[in-house]
Amino acid sequence: MLGLAAEENVLRIHIDELVFGLIAFAVIFALVYRYAVPRVTKMLDERADSIEGGIERAKKAEAEAEELRQQFKEKLEEAHRSYAAELQKASEQSAAIIAEAREEAQAEARRIIEAAHAQIEADRQQAMEQLRAEIGALSAELAARIVGETLADSAAQSRVIDRFLAELESGSTQQAEVR
Amino acid sequence: MSADTLNLAAEGGGGLFTPGGPGFEAPSVGIFFPSPWSWGDYSEALPYTSGITKYVILLLVATSLVVFFLWWTSRKLSVVPDRRQSILELVVLFVRDQISRPMIGVKGDKYLPLLVSLFLFIFAMNVMGIIPFLQLPVTSNLSYPAGLALVIYITFITVGIRSQGFTHYFKGAVVPSGAPGWILPLLVPIEILSNFIIRPATHAIRLFATMFAGHLLLATFAAGGWYMFNPAAGPLYGTISVLFSGSALLAFIIFTAFELVIMFLQAFVFTLLAALYIGQAQEAH
Repeated sequence: MLGLAAEENVLRIHIDELVFGLIAFAVIFALVYRYAVPRVTKMLDERADSIEGGIERAKKAEAEAEELRQQFKEKLEEAHRSYAAELQKASEQSAAIIAEAREEAQAEARRIIEAAHAQIEADRQQAMEQLRAEIGALSAELAARIVGETLADSAAQSRVIDRFLAELESGSTQQAEVR
Repeated sequence: MSADTLNLAAEGGGGLFTPGGPGFEAPSVGIFFPSPWSWGDYSEALPYTSGITKYVILLLVATSLVVFFLWWTSRKLSVVPDRRQSILELVVLFVRDQISRPMIGVKGDKYLPLLVSLFLFIFAMNVMGIIPFLQLPVTSNLSYPAGLALVIYITFITVGIRSQGFTHYFKGAVVPSGAPGWILPLLVPIEILSNFIIRPATHAIRLFATMFAGHLLLATFAAGGWYMFNPAAGPLYGTISVLFSGSALLAFIIFTAFELVIMFLQAFVFTLLAALYIGQAQEAH
């Protein structure tokens, strides 16, 4: 830098400088050719691949999700259907149970009523039999009284009858109390 | 460079702002001929050599810069890029989509390493021109663009012969299709001159000349600004001198930014033309 070389032709080509330049360029070219550009290109391709792959994967996942959704939908509908069927069945069963119970209850009621009827009949029969026996005794007593007393007039006659009836009544009352 | 311009400005005799002092002398092309280091000074003995000069040192710096850039940006490449990786991808994809694909097409992707290294190398050499204290674009020495143009020259001829065959390629390159027979004796020499002599020459000189001129422009602004700065020249002349050198400094800064654009653009153009030549050689005419 200190002091200048003698004036020379501006359009000079120095062989040494030219060779140095070529060596420098060869170094850079070797680096770029062997190292930089192949790696960058490879990486760019990888990036393009990964982006494409990502899109592909997303599409696949979407399809899978759609399929799954369809499946769930079908299952849900199936569940709804079976639920309705179960409900139907249950209501039928409950109706059947109610009908059965009602029948049973009616049968029971009929049975009770019949039993009551039979009891009443039996009681009536018993009462009739007792009454028949008592009526005979009472008739015999009444006849003895009528025959034993002198029936002067109709007034006395009716008195006798009344007394007899009163006795009869009190007697039946006593009898009823005894029973 | 400031030392250069200081030296330059110090020569001569007298001026408006430095009465009795040295006159202004614009930077000469001498700034493109730095002296070689003495231990590398074999230029005296050997013709067409320069020895180890500032250019060689800056070439080393530029190359190291590119190597470091490549190492730093491609250390750990991953599918999800970080910032460093994005820079490398930006460069590679820029060269691929703006240079390689439009010029050669998709099959030109195999020349992508060549074009990427060309672009990075030239841009690094150019940018030496605006890095403080270095401030000399390596490509302002024709030797370096000529070497690269030579590489491209050999490359496109090889590509042409390989893809079209020797006869077909040279016939297609020098005989314009559809030209009438009688004009061929005139056209063929022109085509040979144009395609195989002028083309590599302009390829190299375009880059060299732009960098050369840009650097000379910056040097002129710097030298002029430095020369005019003399506040001790009195109240009136002092003020004017400071205003002048201030505007020169402003222009220097603006042109430095402008130079950066040109440095990028020339690297781009050189690479684009290389791709164009390869693409033309690859396709049959």
